[in-house]
Amino acid sequence: MPEEALENKMVIKDLSMYYTDFKAIEDVTFDVPARRITALIGPSGCGKSTLVRCLNRMNDLIEGVRVEGEVVLDSENVYQQGFDTIGLRRRVGMVFQRPNPFPKSIYENVAYGPKLVGIKDKEELDFIVEDSLKKAALWHEVKTILRESGQNLSGGQQQRLCIARVIAVQPEVILFDEPCSAIDPVATQLIEDLMAELKENFTMVIVTHNMQQAARVSDFTAFMLVQEQGQPGRLIEYGDTNTMFTNPSDERTERYITGRFG
Amino acid sequence: MKGSRADKAATVVFWALGLVTIALLAFIIIEILARGFLTAINPKFFLGKPEAIKAGGGIFPMIISSLYLAALTILISLPIAIGAAIYMAEYAKKGRLNNFIRFCLDSLATLPSIVFGLFGLALFVIYFRWSYCLLAGAFTLAILNLPILLRSTEEAIKLVPNTYREASMCLGASRWTTIRQVVIPTALPGIMTSTILPIGRIMGESAAIVYTTGLFIRNIPISPFDTAAPLAGYIWYAQSEALVPDYRQIVNGGAALLLIIVFAIYFLARWAGNRYQQTKLLGPKMK
Amino acid sequence: MRARGGEAVTGACFKGHAFADRENRVKVVMLACASVAILAILLIFLFIFRESLPSIRELGVKNLFFSTDWRPNVADPKAGHYGMLTFIWGTLLTTFGAMLISTPLGIGAAVFIDQVAPDSMARVVRRGIELLAGIPSVVIGWFGLILLVPAIARVTGTSGYGVAAASLVLVVMALPTITTLSAETLKSLPAELKEASVAMGATRWQTIYKVLLPSAREGLLIAVILGMGRAIGETMAVQMVIGNARAFAVSPFARTSTLTTRIVTDTGEASGIFRSALFAQALVLLLIAMVLIILIRVISRKREAA
Repeated sequence: MPEEALENKMVIKDLSMYYTDFKAIEDVTFDVPARRITALIGPSGCGKSTLVRCLNRMNDLIEGVRVEGEVVLDSENVYQQGFDTIGLRRRVGMVFQRPNPFPKSIYENVAYGPKLVGIKDKEELDFIVEDSLKKAALWHEVKTILRESGQNLSGGQQQRLCIARVIAVQPEVILFDEPCSAIDPVATQLIEDLMAELKENFTMVIVTHNMQQAARVSDFTAFMLVQEQGQPGRLIEYGDTNTMFTNPSDERTERYITGRFG
Repeated sequence: MKGSRADKAATVVFWALGLVTIALLAFIIIEILARGFLTAINPKFFLGKPEAIKAGGGIFPMIISSLYLAALTILISLPIAIGAAIYMAEYAKKGRLNNFIRFCLDSLATLPSIVFGLFGLALFVIYFRWSYCLLAGAFTLAILNLPILLRSTEEAIKLVPNTYREASMCLGASRWTTIRQVVIPTALPGIMTSTILPIGRIMGESAAIVYTTGLFIRNIPISPFDTAAPLAGYIWYAQSEALVPDYRQIVNGGAALLLIIVFAIYFLARWAGNRYQQTKLLGPKMK
Repeated sequence: MRARGGEAVTGACFKGHAFADRENRVKVVMLACASVAILAILLIFLFIFRESLPSIRELGVKNLFFSTDWRPNVADPKAGHYGMLTFIWGTLLTTFGAMLISTPLGIGAAVFIDQVAPDSMARVVRRGIELLAGIPSVVIGWFGLILLVPAIARVTGTSGYGVAAASLVLVVMALPTITTLSAETLKSLPAELKEASVAMGATRWQTIYKVLLPSAREGLLIAVILGMGRAIGETMAVQMVIGNARAFAVSPFARTSTLTTRIVTDTGEASGIFRSALFAQALVLLLIAMVLIILIRVISRKREAA
């Protein structure tokens, strides 16, 4: 890893989230360094997926959700009044647990985002589609079948198509919500390699329940835990991935990564 | 021993009840077709001009009336049903307003069609001074069919996986853009399929249209403001007034033709529904 | 590429307000579409009520709703008598007759579909019921007219027209509703319910009779009420076989009329207070339908609570 001063792309400060009356996350604070991969780990139900959806305000779409605290993106709190959520979601893209290409052609899937900002020029769209698919390491597999439905691809290819779709809108941050939980190990490997390449241009956050995956791909790791049923998820430990996996400072982290609970 | 005898008897009874319904259906179909099929497929009949008092009339303008009426009705009700279904599926929050809309829809679905007919008569034919015409019938039937059309459209929209909406929003689409670009195109085959069945119902409806579209015509209706005589209404009129000497034959033929049309639409809807389920609803392929 | 991306983002931010504006406009349009249902019900109430008002005012509630004296005068409507009790009775009587047959038949067929029949047979019956529901009422009416009426005439020595013929025709109309909804209710019962009963050594019949039907009670009741709604509202098929007399029916083979058939028979020639009296009959139908809907709401709320 090159030695350079880390700037923080996002800063999460005292973030709590409620579903109507139920507190799902409490007082989470951590940084997301630019052009690094930050992993969120923890047993299922610890609120890591919920947390990652707070980062681009996807939870706004759910009725009854309330958020306290701050999510700062480039020194601006995304939860401040009047913040443009649509612009936010272009800057902070997301790849989902299950590959979800639209029932449109491969080309249209990737061109969807650029078209939203009014890019109509065919050549420009062609370029963006090719470039994005290349960056997602999918171009060579699909260049002859761009007009076929994105849903005819294999699960792993679909997930890379979804990554290409996100890349096409040129986000600054990409959130991955357990991107490999629904695909096979070979495809998983491809996606992990891809993430390592994307690090040059993008800041990434990955939610995973797979600790090996976190250890393999991430630079920083945050460990979340619900201590007792009915309590909110809390951040237990955050730090450099190597340190965390070799020498965790919290006993609960150690018990989790050595597989003794959760 | 006693239990098992009762069990056997009950089994026989249930089989009988199940078979009675099928027998009833078969009986009606066979009787209607046996009496009217040959007339129904006679070009002189289904392409012929109706007679007011003489024998030998056809029913071509009535068939055209039915088709015209069905097309107008769908044209009026489908946009409203889609809009309303989008509201109910995508925007509506649980609460009083939502409940009240559902209540109104349930009410519309339960009201007798003759009540719709009188309403259409009072509002469109008399109050708007449209007199008996296709458009009056189409608006009446549009309201009558709204609950069914809305429910099936809403179901088609709800079948669109939520994850498509999320993906679209995450690419910076607004809610409406998401609905327009992703939800509606995905649901469209389902929506189209679900409009087929109501067409059959519109073509079979009589009580709601006899006093809105009219009962008897000799020429094909051209304008939506022309008086018309949809087949179902005409069948009723022909047998109840019995002005033509061969009314029995006309009603036999008309009933057979109507039955054939309605069943054809039913099977078309089933076929389209099956095809749609096989192709579209699989969603993202999963391991 | 970077620069373009940056531009695009600023563009989107700049358009933030326009987006919100359009979002709200769209939502209002969609809400307006949904409100058509409310508007339609209000208009129906308004117009049916408005048109029936003259007869209520002129004749009074008693002479209009609670009198059996129906002697319309086409030429001079004001000179006629427009008591509708005969037809309310006719509606109740034909509906009662229809429910007497279609309730056991419909629920029985539903049990057959859900519990007794092998899958292929269940599918055949289900499709058959759907087809039966699709048959236009004039076709069923014609079927009744050319087959049922002569048959009843032969057996009873009457004209054949009347309450019995109407009830039988209504069985065909109500049966699909009752069967389909009952089958849905039975299907939605938890499988453990049946398994538990069978595991205790109950036979199939005992399971159906003692466990399934009682637990599906509310759903079956709703199915029957909706079937009843169909029967009360059915017009053409009944009109073709009931005989359209204005006599108060006592015998099941007497010719009489129902609310719906009176309306459809007379509206063509009625004017003035005569027509208004027919609208008043539609008002009664409307109120009956509302009572049924509210009844269903109460029952389903009870079911949800349980």
